Amino acid sequence: MKSNVLAGYLSHEQNSEELPKSVDVLIIGGGLLGTSLAYYLSKEKTEVLLLERDEINREASGTNAGSFHFQIALHQLTPDMTDSERVRLSAEVKLQVEAAKLWDGIEAELDADLGVHFDGGFMVAETQEELQVLGDKERIENEAGLESYILTGAEMHKFAPFLAQDLAGVAFCPREGHANPLLVGPTYAFRALENGAKIRTHCTVESVEVLEKSSPGSVGFRFRVKTSKGEVLCNRVVNAAGAWTMELAKQVGLNLPMGLSGLHVNVTEPSEYFLKSMIQHIGRRLTLKQTPNNTFIIGGGWPAKYEAYPKRYSNLWSSTAGNLAVALRVLPMLKDVKLMRTWSGVWAYTKDFKPILGESRKVPGYHVAMVPTGFTLGPMVAQLLANYMTSRDGSSELPKEFSVDREI
Amino acid sequence: METIDSHDLLVIGGGPAGLSAALESSKHGVKTAIIEERITLGGQIFKRLGVGFKDSSASSLGKDYARGAELISGIEKSNVEVFESTQVVSIEDSLVYTTHPSFGTRAFKFKNLIITPGAYDRPVVFPGWTLPGVMTAGAVQTLVKTQQLSPGKKILFAGSGPLALAFSAQLLELGAPVYKVLESSHPPKSSEILRLTAAIPGNWNLISDAIRYRSILLKKSVPFKYRRIVVKAEGQGRVESVTHCKVDQDWRPIAGTEKVESVDLLCVGYGFFPSHELFRFLGCSFIYDENQGGFKVEKDQWGQTSLPAIFAAGDGTGVTGSYSAIAQGALAGLRVAFLYGNLSELQLRDLATSYIRELSNRNKFQKALNHMFDVRPGIYELASDETIVCRCESVKKSDIDSVIESSADISVVKAYTRAGMGLCQGRNCQRQIAAMISKRYHLPFSEIAFATPRFPIKPVEIGLIADGSIRDEKYFINEK
Repeated sequence: MKSNVLAGYLSHEQNSEELPKSVDVLIIGGGLLGTSLAYYLSKEKTEVLLLERDEINREASGTNAGSFHFQIALHQLTPDMTDSERVRLSAEVKLQVEAAKLWDGIEAELDADLGVHFDGGFMVAETQEELQVLGDKERIENEAGLESYILTGAEMHKFAPFLAQDLAGVAFCPREGHANPLLVGPTYAFRALENGAKIRTHCTVESVEVLEKSSPGSVGFRFRVKTSKGEVLCNRVVNAAGAWTMELAKQVGLNLPMGLSGLHVNVTEPSEYFLKSMIQHIGRRLTLKQTPNNTFIIGGGWPAKYEAYPKRYSNLWSSTAGNLAVALRVLPMLKDVKLMRTWSGVWAYTKDFKPILGESRKVPGYHVAMVPTGFTLGPMVAQLLANYMTSRDGSSELPKEFSVDREI
Repeated sequence: METIDSHDLLVIGGGPAGLSAALESSKHGVKTAIIEERITLGGQIFKRLGVGFKDSSASSLGKDYARGAELISGIEKSNVEVFESTQVVSIEDSLVYTTHPSFGTRAFKFKNLIITPGAYDRPVVFPGWTLPGVMTAGAVQTLVKTQQLSPGKKILFAGSGPLALAFSAQLLELGAPVYKVLESSHPPKSSEILRLTAAIPGNWNLISDAIRYRSILLKKSVPFKYRRIVVKAEGQGRVESVTHCKVDQDWRPIAGTEKVESVDLLCVGYGFFPSHELFRFLGCSFIYDENQGGFKVEKDQWGQTSLPAIFAAGDGTGVTGSYSAIAQGALAGLRVAFLYGNLSELQLRDLATSYIRELSNRNKFQKALNHMFDVRPGIYELASDETIVCRCESVKKSDIDSVIESSADISVVKAYTRAGMGLCQGRNCQRQIAAMISKRYHLPFSEIAFATPRFPIKPVEIGLIADGSIRDEKYFINEK
């Protein structure tokens, strides 16, 4: 295992230095999107300043379970599988396949151990009806270039003897896996710093003002950003504020089609290692995996209760009791393993489930980077946006369906 | 899941404070239940003998055992319903969620809570503190009290305050071979003795206890060394030798004063931390007092916290000992009875008088003692770079230091190093890490927030909580 390069990367002294008077690109938000974007931009020698109001990687980027969701999952499905739905799902799978390629190379790219493993993922079906959904899902995935196959009966028991014997069947996708969500964002930040990017934590953006050429003091810059540590002029702003993206975009008059939801996660004590692959459920809320520390992380979309920032969403008993019951239904051998902690994270989603990515035509220079399956897709969409922002000839267009100005 | 809705008041914890609270409330007509995580009532100080031991030897178990037996028999004769082996896991919307090894999850409805969580041994981090054969005073006491078993043949006791004297004497009395006691504070000065003497009225029992403890040590010729602190424990696989040092007034070791002794057990007793997890979880307000164990829940003279339905009593609200705990518990119990209209204001005042006087006497004495045995910052500075600070996840000091270089946030240290993620849920390392942050950034200890409180309050088997009757509404996109 490579040593942890993160410790102390952003020294207190460095972080206390005065803000630069001006910068080319100012990124708001130190989550996975913000830090990976800072890395890809700074790699192309673009001048970057990243501002984070708290600490790097502390919200959804560091509170999710670190899974790569490449298979079609419950939350992407609609009750009726129409042809147009198949087209949409196929497009989503293709994006997920692209993300898989980035995760393949990320440890080499960042020269760090990020706990990346591709040990496959199960998707279980409890009923015959759910098994049928698995069949639809398998066809769409295979057509879109993602390998997955279905196992039932004796075949399933032989391949995954730990699963409950009476499940209807299970899909297995060898490409799926996970990384350590506590390391990925901070490592991007660390490498961005090495590339010359500037990062400030505990620096809150108070307002983003759009400047005209004639505005006093603009000296050619498009934005004046007021922060708790002073003012910065910049050419381009990237709003990568995760769950607070929508709130922040209102400062420049943009309405983004987003929603928020608090999610519940459980973690157990360490227990003998046996589960290499992640387990999900096609009909119920469940993600379950065993980490390299031998603990089990159990989640899958059970709700947490809203609390106003900076308080964290609070965990609900019904979520933990319900979630753990689904986990035991699928993996009965966990019965005597102890629940050690619960936590919550905020999940930001778009109403059409597509990323919001690119530059606003209404407010030129103002960019948004936001993606619902943020951990899986985050670094890849950040790379897409960095390509767009650094291509001088406009050759790197972003998909139109990700448009910042779209209406849903 | 079973829901139990037959009590107005739930008392969490069946130690001195909890027993006394439940006795008073039920005596005055409040429907009361005690929820106790252990298999028997009594808490740490009144801990009962283990299964298979007979109470016939109770007289040899000392005064505390007798005091405890009296309180417990009072509860047995009362209307208080007792739920033993019942672990509090979470509290949400007027329900206390608990687990029991046979009954699984039971949720208790309440109008009021009196929380008496008790305290645990202050973990002191020094090279070798994780070696087998290094034990806390509480752990040794439990073995000796409930199993009548001494874990060592030659025990060095290192600690401070009334605890160092009381515990080492009690251990000796119960047959554990303590051969020397180290006290990190200085010998009492005449001004301090005067202050203590002034606080004696109403505290004769404590003074006589102290005199008795001291005479036990003298009788057995056990040396009591002031101004010495443990700095290192060493050995192959378990403790074989201990190094201790003379300290300055801040408890910082003075170079050149090291003394190495071979022992087979090091018993560490530098005081207690209140178990404040439930109060933090509920969102009660806190104040800070290092000498009572650091963060403690804010409460009025009745024990009412900043959340009106929640009362707090005993060492879990600031460590002041069992006599205070009993008085605090009684006041909280009486107050709840008053709030339900079972006592008039006059009756309440009348019944409370003796407890209030008792508490005020104890507080005076406590203050005088604190002057003598003030906990000094050196206690947090004994670790070397290689010392494990988080023993559950084996995180060493230097790794934590390097994260502290970039952040003064305990949660960030936790995220990067895993310190505090283990089975003890941070009880052993968070204070030490807070002290390291406080030193690096010159911040007062009281300003360093612990990680976000979450349930389970203590780790508990999945099978005891899982509830198949709770359905997840399906969440297909656009589902009507």
